[in-house]
Amino acid sequence: MHIRSILAIARKDALDILLNKATLTLLLTPIFLAVLFVVIGALLGSHTTNALVYNPGKSGVEQIINSAFSDIKITYANSPGNVAATFGPDGTHKNTSYALGLVVPADFDANLRAGGHPQLNLYVDGSQVGNVQSQLLLRALTDYARSVANPQPPASITVATVNPPSPANNDLQDIGQVYSTAILLSSFLVGTSLVPGLLAEEKEKKTLRMLMVSPASFSDVVAAKLLVGLVYQLLLAMVALGIKGGYTGEVPLVLLFVLLGSCFSVSLGLLIGSIFQTTTATGAFSGMISFIYILPIFFVGPFVQLLGSNPFTQLIKVLPTYYIADGAINAIQGQATFSATLLDVSVILASIVLLFLVAVWSLRRQAAVVSTI
Amino acid sequence: MIMPELMIEAQDLRRNFSSKEAVAGISFTTRRGEIFGLLGPNGAGKTTTIRMLTGQIDPSSGSAVVAGCDVVKERTRLKERIGVVFEEQNLYERLSARLNLQFSCWLYGLPESRVDEVLDLVRLRDRAKDKVRTFSNGMRQRLMIARALLHCPPLLFLDEPSRGLDPISAREVRQTIKQLSDAGTTILLTTHLMDEADQLCQRVAFIVNGRLVANDTPRNLKLAHGQRALLVTLAGDPGSQNGNSALCEMTLSLDDPADQQRLATWMTQDKVRAIHSREATLEEVFIEVAGVRPA
Repeated sequence: MHIRSILAIARKDALDILLNKATLTLLLTPIFLAVLFVVIGALLGSHTTNALVYNPGKSGVEQIINSAFSDIKITYANSPGNVAATFGPDGTHKNTSYALGLVVPADFDANLRAGGHPQLNLYVDGSQVGNVQSQLLLRALTDYARSVANPQPPASITVATVNPPSPANNDLQDIGQVYSTAILLSSFLVGTSLVPGLLAEEKEKKTLRMLMVSPASFSDVVAAKLLVGLVYQLLLAMVALGIKGGYTGEVPLVLLFVLLGSCFSVSLGLLIGSIFQTTTATGAFSGMISFIYILPIFFVGPFVQLLGSNPFTQLIKVLPTYYIADGAINAIQGQATFSATLLDVSVILASIVLLFLVAVWSLRRQAAVVSTI
Repeated sequence: MIMPELMIEAQDLRRNFSSKEAVAGISFTTRRGEIFGLLGPNGAGKTTTIRMLTGQIDPSSGSAVVAGCDVVKERTRLKERIGVVFEEQNLYERLSARLNLQFSCWLYGLPESRVDEVLDLVRLRDRAKDKVRTFSNGMRQRLMIARALLHCPPLLFLDEPSRGLDPISAREVRQTIKQLSDAGTTILLTTHLMDEADQLCQRVAFIVNGRLVANDTPRNLKLAHGQRALLVTLAGDPGSQNGNSALCEMTLSLDDPADQQRLATWMTQDKVRAIHSREATLEEVFIEVAGVRPA
């Protein structure tokens, strides 16, 4: 492998991709989809969240609620009892105009810094705020407490949910969380289409023969295509997810699944590129298998409860992309458990290694006859 | 870098594709600075020979030393010493001429100032910023020559350089080849255009069915194999009995006793107005030696 050759080919490809209308459209599709989802979300879900807050000490914790909702109207209560009376005890059914209530003790921040365990009371109207959203808010409040008192133990937070939704309704309320995962998964189509397209075009236009009499080897060509595909894939997945506001929950885990998904995507692309010789064939095949990125979205997160257990939900688990979707949505919702994450990561890693090995085997066979291409 | 006197030494090169023998044991040498033509009809084994000599494919047997490098064992060094212009126009069409050449500079680790030098050489400097897809075939061919010359290789392989070009573009490409040869570059050129080879090459080899059937200078080949003939201009039609006064031209073979007799008769009849020697064309030599037409 020659680094100079790899970088030269990658640099040329990075430019060529932007000059090619077809690949440029491919690159912009996830961004377009993310913007579309944001616009549709804003149009359909543009309602004001009313919150009743008691915060006499003007603690910064109030900002957490502010930033958690796109359009929030905060009303200040005179006393903690005022908030408690508005919502009522946990589990009761009561009509209220407020979606959220928060009681912050007067000396909350100072008490945290002093190593105390000040009490935060969070009230949630389950008919307006979904379970996942509520969990994410709770997590954000805990993180705030940690940021103030680190390394002291955090505040204790009690949550009272009035008008608790039925499980089905609750899941449907959280369907918005799936959008981010859908955007992420669909962005992985880029690597799967881009890498084989780049490889096939070199063969189709006979420019590969020119490269074979230059200092570059066939391995350099393949490595360059992988590199440029991975860089574009990672950038796009991260930007698209950012536009949709997908960096919530366990952000490092979200990033891990972005990386793993990108690696899977380009490995699959490499395999396709090793099998097919023309851009038409690679494009058609990449299009045909796009379902492997779309389908798992309907079998993770809130849909799991809705669909229940049936043969099809079990069958879908043979797709490695199911584990990308499952890991990503759990990370985005902040509901990732160690065992589930370990399973997701293991399956994805094994798939990447398998795809890569098969692609390399196929490419090595091809390298032997590369000059006849 | 000191180059050997013999830039190409091919010894009994053979290459099989499945059961077909594409090149069936060819041996030849090319001296430094000469233009050597490998001529033959389509499918004769010219391109396969070039592929073996440029390290793209391994010979099934035999050996070759090109620019001082063994084509199998010293492939990396070989690639730095040769330039190849392919039969097909394999440029990056969406990129400009300059970017195509810059890419090769990145590959070879060359300063980008070389781009302008080679663009000047092939007279494409004024079109440097234009995308290759807007270029004519001749311009593309010249750009491919420029690309092959970027790293100043002492040996250049040109595979069918005039294929598909109009007469003016073909002439421009030939001018560039002559210019390179004058500058000391050794050139191996394959073509099925015998006139082109005759104009450009100091030595030519005929390849038919994977075998070399002749290898010499065009002049020697013509003298050795071409028919000795005269072009005679006569007053009146020699076949006519009514004394037609128009001029006509006849080709006579010096080796044919009947033609010798006819010439003597016309001389005595004072019908001969002019006599010119007529040299055989390389195509005629090829047909005689190879027993097939070149294309």
